[in-house]
Amino acid sequence: MRRTKAAALVAVATAAGLTLSACSSSGGSGGSGSSTYNAANTSVVNASSHTGGTASYQLSSTPDSMDPGNTYYAFMWDFSRLYARPLVTFNPAPGNAGLQLKPDLATGLGTPSDGGKTWTYHIRSGLKFSDGTPITTKDVKYAIERSNYAHDVLSNGPTYFAQYLVDNSSPYQGPYKDKNGGLNSIQTPNDTTIVFHLKQSFADFDYLVSNPETAPVPQAKDNGADYVKNIVSSGPYEFQSYQDGKGATLVKNPNWSQASDPVRKQYADKITLAFNQQQTTIDQNLMADNVTMDLGGAGMAADSQATALANPQKKTHIDDVQSGALAYVALSSQVAPLNNVHCRQAVQYAIDKTSVQTATGGDVHGDIASTILPPTVTGHTDFNLYPTSGNKGDDSSDGLAAAKQQLKLCGKPSGFSTNIAARSDRPNEIAMATAIQASLKKVGINVQIQQYPSGKYFADDAGAPAFVHSHNLGMMMMAWAADWPTGYGFLEQILDGNAIKASGNSNLSELNDPAINKMLNDAIGNTNDAQRNQAWGAIDKAAMQQAVIVPLLYRKDVMYRPDSATNVFVNPAYGMYDYLTVGSTK
Amino acid sequence: MTAPLEVSGSAAEAQPEAVLSGMESKTIEGRSLGRIAWIRFKRDKVAVAGGIVVVLLVLLAVLSKPIEWVFGLDPNALHQNLIDPVLLRPKGALGGISWAHPLGIEPQFGRDLLSRIIEGSWVSLAVAFGATVLSNIIGMVLGVVAGFYGGWVDTLISRLMDIFLAFPLLLFAIAISASLQGGAFGLHGLPLHISVLIFVIGFFNWPYMGRIIRGQTLSLREREFVDAARSLGARGPFILFKELLPNLVAPIIVYSTLLIPTNILFEAGLSFLGVGIEPPQASWGGMLNQAVDLYQADPMFMVIPGMAIFITVLAFNLLGDGLRDALDPRNN
Amino acid sequence: MVAYIIRRAFAAVVLLLIVSAVTFGIFFLVPRLAGETTQQLASQYVGRDPSPQAVQSIIHNLGFDKPVYQQYWEFIHGIVAGRTFNDGPTPTHCAVPCFGYSFKSHLPVWPDLTQRIPVTLSLALGAAVIWLVSGVAIGVLSALKRGSIFDRLSMGVALAGVSLPIFFTGLLSMDLFSFQWPIFSNLHYVNFTDNPLMWAKNLVLPWVTLAFLYSALYARLTRAGMLETMSEDYIRTARAKGLPERKVVTRHGLRSALTPIITIFGMDFGLLLGGAVLTETVFSLPGVGQYAVQAITDNDLPKVMAVTTLAAFFIVVANLLVDLLYAVVDPRVRLS
Repeated sequence: MRRTKAAALVAVATAAGLTLSACSSSGGSGGSGSSTYNAANTSVVNASSHTGGTASYQLSSTPDSMDPGNTYYAFMWDFSRLYARPLVTFNPAPGNAGLQLKPDLATGLGTPSDGGKTWTYHIRSGLKFSDGTPITTKDVKYAIERSNYAHDVLSNGPTYFAQYLVDNSSPYQGPYKDKNGGLNSIQTPNDTTIVFHLKQSFADFDYLVSNPETAPVPQAKDNGADYVKNIVSSGPYEFQSYQDGKGATLVKNPNWSQASDPVRKQYADKITLAFNQQQTTIDQNLMADNVTMDLGGAGMAADSQATALANPQKKTHIDDVQSGALAYVALSSQVAPLNNVHCRQAVQYAIDKTSVQTATGGDVHGDIASTILPPTVTGHTDFNLYPTSGNKGDDSSDGLAAAKQQLKLCGKPSGFSTNIAARSDRPNEIAMATAIQASLKKVGINVQIQQYPSGKYFADDAGAPAFVHSHNLGMMMMAWAADWPTGYGFLEQILDGNAIKASGNSNLSELNDPAINKMLNDAIGNTNDAQRNQAWGAIDKAAMQQAVIVPLLYRKDVMYRPDSATNVFVNPAYGMYDYLTVGSTK
Repeated sequence: MTAPLEVSGSAAEAQPEAVLSGMESKTIEGRSLGRIAWIRFKRDKVAVAGGIVVVLLVLLAVLSKPIEWVFGLDPNALHQNLIDPVLLRPKGALGGISWAHPLGIEPQFGRDLLSRIIEGSWVSLAVAFGATVLSNIIGMVLGVVAGFYGGWVDTLISRLMDIFLAFPLLLFAIAISASLQGGAFGLHGLPLHISVLIFVIGFFNWPYMGRIIRGQTLSLREREFVDAARSLGARGPFILFKELLPNLVAPIIVYSTLLIPTNILFEAGLSFLGVGIEPPQASWGGMLNQAVDLYQADPMFMVIPGMAIFITVLAFNLLGDGLRDALDPRNN
Repeated sequence: MVAYIIRRAFAAVVLLLIVSAVTFGIFFLVPRLAGETTQQLASQYVGRDPSPQAVQSIIHNLGFDKPVYQQYWEFIHGIVAGRTFNDGPTPTHCAVPCFGYSFKSHLPVWPDLTQRIPVTLSLALGAAVIWLVSGVAIGVLSALKRGSIFDRLSMGVALAGVSLPIFFTGLLSMDLFSFQWPIFSNLHYVNFTDNPLMWAKNLVLPWVTLAFLYSALYARLTRAGMLETMSEDYIRTARAKGLPERKVVTRHGLRSALTPIITIFGMDFGLLLGGAVLTETVFSLPGVGQYAVQAITDNDLPKVMAVTTLAAFFIVVANLLVDLLYAVVDPRVRLS
C-alpha cells in the first residue's frame, strides 16, 4: 500500500509493538480501554454507542482519488469503506484479530473450487445504493472491470484482478472502450452470485476482494474520472459535497440498514474532510481536540510528536502504531563480491542495527527487525539467524567475530568495497545508510553512498538491474509494505525470481532461487489456511539463509487520538486507526 | 535587482532609473572618476563594512573545502548521541551550542550546523555569481547591440525583453528545475543542480541588465567622444569595444553587486521549495525547508540558516548601495 | 484611446501566446532533452507498474502520439472554443476556457484553479493595502526629514527588510505568534463569505509578513523618488512663488514621485496574483501559488499550462492598467 509522503519521511516507533499479538485471542471483542499510552493498539478506546455529532478528518495532502476504484492509498482503502462496501473486509477489531477477513457485501468468505482457481461469493439480498436502486453482483462485476481494465481513465488503483483473472480471447479493453459485453471470467448467474475464474490457484483471493475495487458501482451513474464527484454510496454515509483538492462532506445514507451490515456503525451524523492542511496544524488541532482524526494515518510531524511525547497528559492519547512496513537493505545477489553468500552473511552480522535505529531518531522510530515479515503480517514467525549482542553488529565482540569469520569464508578476509543506493530526498534513509556505512567500515567493508531521487529510484536506478550491475550497487536501501497483509502479499514482489523486471523491479536483490520460487508458488496454491500461513515463515527463513535482505526496522508511526473520538483502535491491516466505527462526541 | 518579487522583493528596483538614477554623466571623466569614487566610498563606513563582510564571505566560500578539511568538519556526519531521542531536539541550550559545535547541531539527525553553513556558503555564492555572470553576458551583449544599432534590431531586442518580463519567472524556474532534477546532459547530483540553478536564475534575469545597458548605450552613442571617434574613421565594432564598453563598466559593477543578493535569495527560495539543491548536500534554503517541520522543536535550526542568508544579502546590498552612491557624481 | 487599448490588447494576446508556447516547450522539450522517451513520460500517469497496453492507451488519450505543434494547437483551441474528450464512458465536453483535464486526476483543470483565485486575491489585496500605506508614508517622511534619526532608522530597517527572505520571516512569525505566543493559532484559510472575521484573523500573519518585505522596498523607492523630485527646478519655482511647503509637497512633489510607484505596484500586484508561491507555501494557503507548485511537482502539464497562462495574464493586464492609469495621473503621458 502506498503511504503518504510524510509517512515515508517520518517513521516513528517504539519497542512495545509486539504486544499486539498478545491480544489476538480476544477475537473481535477487543475490550474497552481507557486512554493510556498505546491503549488503542490493543483495545477499543472510548468505546461508546453515542450517536450524533460531526466526525472531522484532516489530511496534510490530498487522496489520489476518493473513487473506490481509483485509489492506492492505505488510508483511502480504510476510509472508503464508509461509503463503499467491498465483498469482504478486515475485521474491525484491535490487535491481530483485525487481520482476519469478515464478509461484508457478501454473506460469507469466498468458496474456492477447482483447486483454488474458481471463487464464488453470494451477496446479501435487499441491499440498496444511496439512490435507492438495488445492489446486484453485476454492479460488483462492473466495478472490477472499470478499475482494472480502464487504467487510462482510472489510473491509480492496483490491477491484481487483471493480473490473476482469465482474460477474454481477445484482450478485454475495459467497459469504456469495449461496449459489447464484459469480462467473461467474472460470471453473475443471478443478482446475488458472483463467480471468478483465475488463471492459477490463488489462495489469497479473499484478500484481493477486500480491496475497495470490489465495492459496487452502478454502470448508469459511472462517468469515468468524473465519478469521484458523484459517488453512489453503498455504505452508511453518502457524499453531500466534494471539492477536488479541498475536501468533502458526508452525511448519513438513508438507504443503508444496520441489519444488512455486521461490521459498520452509523454513529456520527456527519463526516467532514479537509485536505492540504499543514501537518503541524493538524497535530495541533488533534491535541486541542478540534478535529477527530488525521485521515492520513501516517503519524505526527516530528515537531508535534516531540511536544506530545514530552507531555505526560498528552502522551496518554498517543499510540505508537506498527505501520506494517519494513525498512531494509537489499544485498544484490548479482554484484560481486556480494554474489557470494558468505560476503552477504558478513554484512548481516556486521551491521549495527542499534545505530541504524538511533540514526532515524532513536528507539521511538522503529523496532529492530530480524525477519522480513513484520509482526503485523499474517504468517510472521519470530526468528533471528544472525544474532549479535544487543543487535550491535560488529560493535559487539560476537558480531565482529562472526562477520570476520564469514569474510574469511568469502575469500575477502580484509573486507571489500561496494556502493549503497539510497533515496536522496528521504533524510531518514540517508541517515540509515550513513550509519550502515560507519558500522561496515569496522570490518573493512568500505561503502560509498550513492543517492538517487525517489521519483526514479525504481524506474531507472535501484529498480533497473542493468543499472545496478553497471554501477556496482551491491547494497540498496528499501522500504516495503504489502498490499494485503499476508506472507504472499508481502514477499512475492521482493523475493520471487519471476517478479524480476528490467525496470520498476522490486526484487532488488535479484534473488532467483528455484526452491524459494517453488515454495511461493506452492503456498499460494494451497487453500489450507494453517499450512499456507506456516509456509510464509519458512520462506522468510529460507530467504534469510540466502542473506539477500538485511531487515533493519519494523517501522511505526506516532498517532494521536483526541478525547472526542469514540471507538478508536488501531487495525494492523491498515497500520492506522480503523475508521469504520469512529464516532465523535462533538 | 530583479523580478521574482516574492523572493527578493526587488523587481521594483529593477527599474533602471531607480537603480542608476543620474549615473550617466560621470563616465566621461574617465580614469580619475575611479579615484574620486574610491575616496567617496571609503568615507561611507557602512558600505565599507558591507564590503569587508562580502570579502570575508567570498573567502569563506572559496576556501570552504580546505577549511572543512583543516578543522575536520564534516557537514554530513550524524551526531545522534547529541540528540534527545524523544524530543528530537539537540541536548543542551540554544540548539546544542558547544565548543565542538559552535552553531549547535541540527535536530533529529544531529549534523553540525557550522559545517553545513560553511558548506552552504559556497553553493549559495557559486550559484549567485554564476547566474549574475550569465545574465550580465546576455544582457550586456543584447543591450549594447540594441542601443548601438537602434532601428529594427533595437525594436526586436526590446520586444524580447518585454516578453521575458511578462513571464512568471519563479514558476518557470521551478518548472525547469523540477523537470531536470533526475539527471540531464550527462550531469548528475550536485554539478547538475548547480548548473540548472545558474541557468534558470541567470537566463531569466538578463532583460534587467539588458535594459540598463541599452539605455546607457543610447545616451553614450550621442556623446561627443563617440562622434569624434566616428569622424576619425572608426568603425562600429571599434567604437563599441574601445569607446562604449569601458564607459559601461561602472553601471555594470553597481548593478551586478545588487543582482548577486537577489540571486542568493532566488537560489535559497528554490531550494526552500525543494527544487534547488538536493539534500543531503547542505544549502541554506534547504536547511530552512527542513526547519518547516522542526522549528517548534528547535527554533535555532531555523534562525541560523535564516541569519546566514540575511547577513550575506545585507552585506551585498550595503556594498551595492555604497558603490552606487560613490559612483554617482551628483552625490556629495 | 480606443485604438490604443485595442492595440495593447492585441499585443497582450500575442504575449500570452508566446508565454504558453514557451511553457509548453519547457514541458515537452526539456524532459526529452534530458533523455526521456514518450513511454517513460506517459507511464508516470498510469499508476503503479502499468502494462504496456495501458501506457499505449494513455499516450493516445493524452495526445502524446500527435506532433507537438498539433498538441499545442489543440490546447489553444480548447481555451478559445472548448474541447470534447472521448476517453471516458461517454464523450465529455469541456467548456470555454478549456485548459483540458489533469493528467493525474483526469478532472477538468479550470474549475479547480478558479477556486484558488480568491485565496491569492485575499492575500495580495490585504498585504497591498498595508504595504502601500506604510511604505509610501515612511518613504515620504524619510525624504522630507532626510538625515534625521527617523530617516536613518527607517531606512536601516528597510534595508534589512529587503534582505530578509520571506520564507524565513514567515517561519519566524509563525514560530513567534502561532506557537510561542499562540495569538494566531490553528491557521487555515477561511472563505471571506463564510466568516469575514476568521478570514481576516487567519490572514493577518501572511499579510504582515508579505507587506513587511514590500513596505521596505516601497519605502526605499518612495524616498529616492521624493528626494529626486524635491530637487527639481519646478519645485524650486513652486517654493519661490510662495506656496506653503505642505502644498508644495502634496501637490507637486508627491504627485510626480508617486507615478513610478504606480507602475511598480501594478507589476508587483500582477505578479502576486499569479501566485505568491513562497508565502502560500510557508503558510499553507490553498492559493494559486500552492496549486502551481503542486502541479509542477506532479508534472501535470494541463495544470501547469493553466496556472502559468493565468499568471502571465495577470501580469499583462496589470501592465496594461498601469499604462492607462499613467495617462490619467501624469499629464505628460499621452496615449497615441
